Amino acid sequence: MIIEVKKLKKTYEGEVPTHALKDINFGVKKGEFVALMGRSGSGKSTLLHQLGLLDTPTAGKVIMDGIDIVSFSEKEKSEFRLKKLGYVFQSYALLPELTALESVYLPLMISNIDKGEYIKKASKMLKKVGLGDRLHHLPKEMSGGEQQRVAIARALVNDPMILFADEPTANLDSESSKVILKLFKELNKDIGQTIIMVTHEPDDEKYVDRVIWLKDGLIKK
Amino acid sequence: MNIKASFFLAATSIKRGNKGTLAMTILIMTLVYINLVFISSVFGGIVEAINTQSINNQYGNIVIEPEIDERYIKNRKAMELINTIPGIVGSSAHYVDNPIIRYDNRSDGMDVKSGRWVLKSITPSDEKTVTDIHKSMIEGAFLEEADRYEIMIGKEVAGGHGGDLDHLSLGVSVGDKIDVNFSNGITREYTVKGIFSTKSTQVDQMVFVTKKEMESVLDVHNWASEVLVKIEKLGSEDEYIDKIRGLGLYNEDIKKWSDLMGFTSSASSSFTMISLILGAIGTIVAGVTIFIIIFVSVVNNRKQIGILKAIGMRESTIILYFVLQALFYGIIGVMFGAAIILFGIRPYFISNPLDFPVGWVSLKVTFDIIRISNISLIVAALIGGFLPAYRGARESILKSIWG
Repeated sequence: MIIEVKKLKKTYEGEVPTHALKDINFGVKKGEFVALMGRSGSGKSTLLHQLGLLDTPTAGKVIMDGIDIVSFSEKEKSEFRLKKLGYVFQSYALLPELTALESVYLPLMISNIDKGEYIKKASKMLKKVGLGDRLHHLPKEMSGGEQQRVAIARALVNDPMILFADEPTANLDSESSKVILKLFKELNKDIGQTIIMVTHEPDDEKYVDRVIWLKDGLIKK
Repeated sequence: MNIKASFFLAATSIKRGNKGTLAMTILIMTLVYINLVFISSVFGGIVEAINTQSINNQYGNIVIEPEIDERYIKNRKAMELINTIPGIVGSSAHYVDNPIIRYDNRSDGMDVKSGRWVLKSITPSDEKTVTDIHKSMIEGAFLEEADRYEIMIGKEVAGGHGGDLDHLSLGVSVGDKIDVNFSNGITREYTVKGIFSTKSTQVDQMVFVTKKEMESVLDVHNWASEVLVKIEKLGSEDEYIDKIRGLGLYNEDIKKWSDLMGFTSSASSSFTMISLILGAIGTIVAGVTIFIIIFVSVVNNRKQIGILKAIGMRESTIILYFVLQALFYGIIGVMFGAAIILFGIRPYFISNPLDFPVGWVSLKVTFDIIRISNISLIVAALIGGFLPAYRGARESILKSIWG
């Protein structure tokens, strides 16, 4: 198992505490393409945030590649996110002043890779997602689908162990959505990329190996 | 921390960000810098004008006075040798008295004005090497060596020249005759030869006769009540005091001009203090301005900060990214501001000095003012940039991205 989730809980404190995740247990094999599905408020995005080290669970364990990541310090979390994880957000999340190429090589630059190498690697990754002719375009000069593909290239450029995608097609038209999901499927098949994707589209089920259904903070059996 | 990534992001943000905002930010920083330097330089100019007035018109650089309980300096040889010390521009020996001066306007005893003023005797050629009073004549002429019954008076004594103490003045002009009743009881009549205005109220309340005339009144020869000494290099007074003492003036009271400044010294200190306070306020304003600029940038880039953290960028790298931007604004502000001050404002005020009661005031832009202003603005930029960046970078990723 590349990911093992044990008795994971997340409660948001307030006047009335909200138990977003109650007792989550599951595993993901290396090379699996898993979808987290469920209604709004079911806890699917909250679960993805806990797995992707974007948030800290209230209780439980998340073991990735044999390491319990829950107890990491902020510094270790940054390092782990940089080297082992990739993210694709719903709203592209590109820096407006960076070109496609710069957005993609930024994680490599942070990893202290040589300039020549990171430019080469980022260019190659952009070509792989079909944006070989958009290297020097700013986000405002690209369509939504193209921007999301830049975000995917950025997420993959560091060869992450796991790619997390949080409703990656929510802001795209149906054609662009198909392109993105096909790309995910290809990455999963061709290079064995492990992908965990949150989606609310039932049609997306056909692209994934397995669906984990959530309801009220629990996995639906 | 990844300095390369911080630098890359800061440079890209400045290069590709909104040009109007960039221009406005640089303009604000430049104006803040000019404000810092200008205020300090104007006050520096005022202090310098006060000091220059005191040196050039009242004290020279060094004043030698008699030893305690003595009325005169009697070491003639030592006084003659002062001018032989290398680096001394000149010296001028004075007799000083405090006589009653009287002017009978209609010569009938019906319209008499009188008062007690400081009278000094000078050797005109010596005085010209120490003070600039000879350059400040507004009516008539400066005394000459051969003059005996001529007197030169300040505008506050003469009156009618817009002085501060016109109500106490004699109301005389060049050519009028006045009686001087010396403290030893001798009274002599003098013709007003010249009236001077030095912009120093203290000096403009003095009157001068020649040394020869004064010695005949006091019945002394080649002594002095005080000797003013002018040196080439301002700030080396202590060194020259030692040399002067070495001539044999061991017990005389020898002081630097700054020790004799009295109320002008406190005015000068007050101006320095006001300058420091305004400088500190200017620096705080600069810091707050940069804080607001970077705060707005952090708020506008909140989502981007979350993304950068999500892809593995450390908080310290993100903070540095914003601090470098602030530093850029600060450095550009310093460069533009210094250029405008040094090549625009300063030359203008040298050509067109401001007319202050203490004298003509120009901007005194010193290396210290430039250095302190540079450091102040850059430190203000660093602090003003760091605080909002730290706050923004510390926010949780989810809160940054989704609010």
